[in-house]
Amino acid sequence: MRVAVTGTPGTGKTTATAALVDRFDANVEADTSTSAVTVDGKETVDELTADDICHLNDLIESESLYTDVDEDRDSVIADMDALESVVDDRAPVVVDSHLAHHLPADRVVVLRCEPNELARRLRERGEAAEKAHENAESEALDVILAEAVESHGLESVYEIDTTERTPDDVADRIVDVLTGEREPSAGTVDFVGYLQ
Amino acid sequence: MSQDDDKWGVAHVHASFNNTIMTVTDLTGAETIAKSSGGTAVKQNRDEASPYAAMQMAEGVAEEVKAAGITGLHVRVRGPGGNLQKSPGPGAQATIRALARSGIEIGRIEDVTPIPHDGSRAPKGKGGF
Ligand SMILES: Nc1ncnc2c1ncn2[C@@H]1O[C@H](COP(=O)(O)OP(=O)(O)O)[C@@H](O)[C@H]1O
Ligand SMILES: [Mg+2]
Repeated sequence: MRVAVTGTPGTGKTTATAALVDRFDANVEADTSTSAVTVDGKETVDELTADDICHLNDLIESESLYTDVDEDRDSVIADMDALESVVDDRAPVVVDSHLAHHLPADRVVVLRCEPNELARRLRERGEAAEKAHENAESEALDVILAEAVESHGLESVYEIDTTERTPDDVADRIVDVLTGEREPSAGTVDFVGYLQ
Repeated sequence: MSQDDDKWGVAHVHASFNNTIMTVTDLTGAETIAKSSGGTAVKQNRDEASPYAAMQMAEGVAEEVKAAGITGLHVRVRGPGGNLQKSPGPGAQATIRALARSGIEIGRIEDVTPIPHDGSRAPKGKGGF
């Protein structure tokens, strides 16, 4: 099974997915009823190691998986076909990236964050003001959520609001998706107030 | 532009997954002429309600805009507007149609949706996979 963990940069994907293996062990060992079940005809995850997590930002850079450069955004334009075949070869369970929902997946987790808080997190991470701003605006407009729903359908999307959650708490919510203990959801937050 | 500049404004339409809001400014963007409070459809059937709520919102704004002596609007759309593959999305489309029905002339329609990026970004128009 493949679970995409997507969301606007700054929502905390890399932090939460880095904590995932530990949280998975803590949760699944604490609750033996969780392991190895099938939900809605889809396989769930009963084991998770560091090799099962793939961070696409690293992969795009180390393997030069891009076709072009967007100078204005200081970003490369990802080669989605090449990315798809490299990810297929590695067969990770969890794919961490703001591009993860552009690849096939069984479930798509969309992390969300209130835009002012998202901009604060990005600035704190050392990003430029323009980058923080355009990503905050993307988040306010639900750009990634809408793309995820358009590509995968409402039945495969799991939205998690990280605004007031610790990274471990977010990782626990992702574990619930991996083990099939959560229903899909989308459109549970409304951040357009940020734009007014 | 051949029209009298005083009579033209810009409608900034923000269309998110389940909400549509609009601000109308003068051509420079400096002066706000009208502002919507939003066409929310969170608690209703999204497919039906989002364009409808957006339309009602736009009708209210159109009256204010006309009262201010504006006869034409250029439209700048930001956002996916309700998860369909159309650009502009249904919320934005309903807004533009409602403005036109209210007798406002529609000029240029521009899509200025922001792009999530983090050292990489998806190619433009990358909808599915
Ligand atoms: N749940 C959280 N609460 C507060 N800050 C967070 C949280 N998750 C991540 N951060 C911080 O926000 C910044 C962005 O997190 P990161 O994991 O890099 O996001 P992403 O991978 O989605 O771009 C980092 O500086 C990180 O320390
Ligand atoms: Mg990251």
